[in-house]
Amino acid sequence: MAASAPALALPFRQGEKKAEDRELVRLSQNGSEPAFEELVRRHQQRVFALVAGILHRPDDVEDVAQQVFLKAYLGIKRFDQRAAFSTWLYKIAVNECWDYLRKRKVRPLVYEADLSEEQVSRLDGIVSSERPPVGANARAETRELLDRVLALLPEQDRQLLVLKEIEGFSVQELAEILHLNVNTVKVRLFRARGRIMDIYRRRLGSKAKSHAVPAEAEKE
Amino acid sequence: MTTDAESRSGCQAYEVLLEDYLNAELSAEDAKLAADHLADCAACRAAVKRANASTRLLRAAEPSPDPGPAFARMVMARIRSAENEKAASRANFWQPFVSLGWRFAATATFALAALVTYNAGWLHRSQPNVALQRPTVDIFAPEPARAPATGGEVLMMVADTGHEK
Repeated sequence: MAASAPALALPFRQGEKKAEDRELVRLSQNGSEPAFEELVRRHQQRVFALVAGILHRPDDVEDVAQQVFLKAYLGIKRFDQRAAFSTWLYKIAVNECWDYLRKRKVRPLVYEADLSEEQVSRLDGIVSSERPPVGANARAETRELLDRVLALLPEQDRQLLVLKEIEGFSVQELAEILHLNVNTVKVRLFRARGRIMDIYRRRLGSKAKSHAVPAEAEKE
Repeated sequence: MTTDAESRSGCQAYEVLLEDYLNAELSAEDAKLAADHLADCAACRAAVKRANASTRLLRAAEPSPDPGPAFARMVMARIRSAENEKAASRANFWQPFVSLGWRFAATATFALAALVTYNAGWLHRSQPNVALQRPTVDIFAPEPARAPATGGEVLMMVADTGHEK
């Protein structure tokens, strides 16, 4: 690593936030440590989201995400910039996740989907658009409840729904990083949307009803 | 007549179109095509209704948080550590060869020194001491007798011997 690297760090922090990834990649390929650090900063949130969406094991996400960037650093001289840096990085992340799951011989963590009546009622309020969660805390609680329901889906359906609808990846991005046809992604997404509602109603619907009965009895 | 799969997710031929319809990513022409189909197909209407509900649920969830500025620093620290390990392992790779080289050099030097020492000792023992063995020349000593070369010298020798007696 270049000993003079820290001198390059300031311009990126102050005035060159809009420097293109391509330029940062070129500098990184020439051994600039601050340029690569800037690339890490720019893409860490998406890589984190991608790894979290695939692994579904919160404790290991940070470690795997760090490993992704380490591999990117070690391989950046071989990156020819024909694809976008983000696409190349996301492919490393997906491969790293599968390697991790294979080496550790672990399946993504399966949550217990048993929700309380109050929790089911909260999700019902969102489904019916009556009580959408307001604020980051309420949305984080919703995420936690939803993760339990999503865990009941087939793995690929869960990953696609989480990455597309929660983490904000586009269909095009998902097709590229998962090596799928764009239309295949759309079909799988459409079917997965139906499946999650089927599971939600089948597994948790009885609680929603049982929650409704006392409420009606109270009125009477 | 709709199949079981179609009753769950709508008509297979329209799945891509309906996914785009849900995301409002259709051209005016395709949007009309989707609307016309939905007006005619109860299975697809139900599928879109389910998909809409699940989309509301999913979009209400908080995305994964940004890991923060410490994350980038930790990544860079890990990179430096990996680079150091790599450099150390590169040095370790040559270490056995270097060690072997030094041992070989030391052994060769020792063997050479031993050989030179032994050779010098052997030469010392086997070579006669010229200084000690050189005869001392006595200039006053009589000339050593030599064999007579002619008959006259023989007669002279016999006469000398008789005269001495």
